[in-house]
Amino acid sequence: MPFTEPVLLKRINADPAKRKLHFYDDYVATGGYKGLEAALQMAPADIIKTTIDSGLRGRGGAGFSAGQKWSFIPKEKRGPHYLCVNADESEPGTFKDRYLIDYDPHQMLEGIAIACIATQCDIAYIFIRGEYHRQAKVLEHAIKEAYEHGIFGPQGIKGSATKLECYVHKGAGAYICGEETGLLEALEGKRGWPRNKPPFPAIAGAFAKPTVINNVETLAAVPHIIERGPIEGPRWFKSMGTPSSPGPKLYGMSGHVNSPGVYEDELGITLEHAIKLAGGMKGGAYKASICGGISMGVLGTNQLDIKLDFDDVRFRGGCLGLGTAGMIVMNEHTDMVLALRNCVRFYAHESCGQCTPCREGSAWMRKILDRIVDGGGRAQDLEMLLELEKTMGIMPGTTICGLADGTAWATRTFINKFYDEFAAKCPETPVPQFSLKRGSLNVLQPMGSNTR
Amino acid sequence: MAWIVENRRTQVVEKRETPYLTADMKIDLANRYFPRYPTKRAVLLPALHAVQHQYGWIPTQAMEELGEFLGLQPAEVMDTATFYEEYWLKPKGKYLVAVCRSLACELCGSTELTKHLKKKLNIEPAETTADGKFTLVEYECLGSCGTAPAALCNDVLHENINPESFGHWLDTLPEDPHEYHDSSVTWDETASAH
Repeated sequence: MPFTEPVLLKRINADPAKRKLHFYDDYVATGGYKGLEAALQMAPADIIKTTIDSGLRGRGGAGFSAGQKWSFIPKEKRGPHYLCVNADESEPGTFKDRYLIDYDPHQMLEGIAIACIATQCDIAYIFIRGEYHRQAKVLEHAIKEAYEHGIFGPQGIKGSATKLECYVHKGAGAYICGEETGLLEALEGKRGWPRNKPPFPAIAGAFAKPTVINNVETLAAVPHIIERGPIEGPRWFKSMGTPSSPGPKLYGMSGHVNSPGVYEDELGITLEHAIKLAGGMKGGAYKASICGGISMGVLGTNQLDIKLDFDDVRFRGGCLGLGTAGMIVMNEHTDMVLALRNCVRFYAHESCGQCTPCREGSAWMRKILDRIVDGGGRAQDLEMLLELEKTMGIMPGTTICGLADGTAWATRTFINKFYDEFAAKCPETPVPQFSLKRGSLNVLQPMGSNTR
Repeated sequence: MAWIVENRRTQVVEKRETPYLTADMKIDLANRYFPRYPTKRAVLLPALHAVQHQYGWIPTQAMEELGEFLGLQPAEVMDTATFYEEYWLKPKGKYLVAVCRSLACELCGSTELTKHLKKKLNIEPAETTADGKFTLVEYECLGSCGTAPAALCNDVLHENINPESFGHWLDTLPEDPHEYHDSSVTWDETASAH
C-alpha cells in the first residue's frame, strides 16, 4: 500500500481556511493517544524493536535510525534519563515542525510519552527556538491538558508505573542550538557551544545523564507505528517510501512556487513531483532548488528527476543529504551568486565561534562573496572559495559540529553546479584544478531580469 | 553574531537602588522553574527571558542580581547572555520589528520590505526611532519560508507581508507594548501548566 492518505497531517486540512488547532478533546476524538495505549501494553524493548523494524529514520536532518538511537540508552538505570525534543527549527527552508506544533501539538506529545516509556526517561524537555512565541504557548497549553488527563505527572502515564514530566524550554535565537549537543548546553544554561563527542548524549547528555534527542517530526511519526502493533506497524510504515528510507515525510516547499507550504508524501518522490504538489513554478521555469535546508546544498537545473530520500539526493544529487526536506525552489531569474551570498551570510552570522576554520572560514567566504556581488570579483576568488570550503567541517575533521559542513556543501554545490554564472562575475577565472566533479549544467538562463 | 566578545574591562556598571530582579519575580522563577531542572544554572535562560519581558532589555545590574539568585558568577551570567541574539543588553524600542532575511524570504521580497521599513521609520537596521517606539532588526530564518516574506513584531509573527500595508499597520500599534497580543492565541495562556 503506497502513500494514499496523510499520516502526520491527517488532522491538518490542506485548505488553509479550514485548518484548526487540535487540542486534547479534538485529538482524542480523531483517534489520538491510541498509540500510547498500545505502548503501555508493550515492554520497552519491544517498542524499541518495533521502531527499529519500521526503519524510521530521524527527520531532523541526519537520517539516523530513531529506534537505534533509543537502543543506545543504557538498559540498567543508574539515575535519571532525559528526553530532549529538538524543536529548534532554524534551518532556512524548514518550517515543518512549526506546522505540526501549530495545528496538532498532541501528536508530538504522544510520541514523547512513547519514547520515554521505551527509554525510561523521567523528564522530557521540549527545546523550542525563541522566535516561536506562539508555538511555545500552544505547547504550554497542550502540556497542561496532558497533565490534566493523566499523561504527564506524578501519578504515572495513564496510571502506569512510568512517571514522566514534560516542560518547554525556550531558546533565545541561536541556530547552533539545533545541533544536539549545542542544544544540551543551552538547556543547561550555558552558551550553545557544541560538545566534543564522545561521550555521546546517549551515555552522558543533559546534566551528564543518558539523553535521547529527537526531532519533532520523528516523534510525531512514532504513535502511528506503535498504534498498529509490532508486526503490522513496521509493515505498514515500510509500504511507503523506498527500502532504505521508508515512511511518509513532510516536504516544506517555499520560494518560487505557486502554493508554498508543507506537503506530505512518501519518501522518494521526485523533485518534479514535489514542485507539482506545491502548485508548480511561479514567475519562470525551474532553475535550482535547495534540498532540505541550505546546509544540504543545491540541486541543479537538470536534476528534477532526483528522488527525495535520504540516499538518492546524496549519491546521485551530489548534495549532503535530504536534511529536513525543506525545499527552496528558485526560478530561472534567480541570481545564484546572490543566493549563495545569502546562504554564506547566514553561516557567518550563526557560527558559534568555537572552531577557527568555521568562524574565520565562513566570515572570509562572506567577504569574498560580498565583493563578487559588488562587482569586484577577481580571477582567483572562486578558487579561494573552493579551497576554503574544503578545509572546514567534520568531514575534513577540523570542526566539532556540522555547521561548517553546511557552509562547505552549500558553497561547493552552488559553485560547481552553476560554475559559469559565478565565473561570469569573476573574470579570467581558470578552471580550478581541485574542483569537484562539475555539475552537469546544460542550460544557462539569461541573467539580469531579476524578479526580486 | 554570537562570537563577538566586547571589551568590558573598562565598563562602568550603572547602578540603581531598586533591584531589577524583584522579590515577586524571584518567587515566580523559583516556583515555576526550580523544580524543572536538576541544576540552578539551567534556570538562567528562562530567568533572562523573564527579565527581558519585564524591562524590554537586560541591564548589567540585573545580570549581577541573577548571578546572586542562581549562585553563579556575574561573568557566567554574562557569558551566557552575550551568546544569544534575542537578549538585548542595551535598551531597545517598545516594538522590535524583526524582518527575516534568509533565502526564502529574500526570494520573495524581504529586501523590499526592509527597504520600505527603513524609509518609513527613518532608521537603519539595529537602530531605534527617536521616539523610542520601534527598533528595526534583520533576523535569520524565522521558520516562515512558506509564507514569505515574514517579520516578527515583538512576539507576533506576520506572514505574507505587503510592505505598504504593514507599514501603515505599524502606526496603529498601542503606546504600551504589553497591550499588544497575538490574536490567534485564543486560550488562557497565563495559566501555568504546573
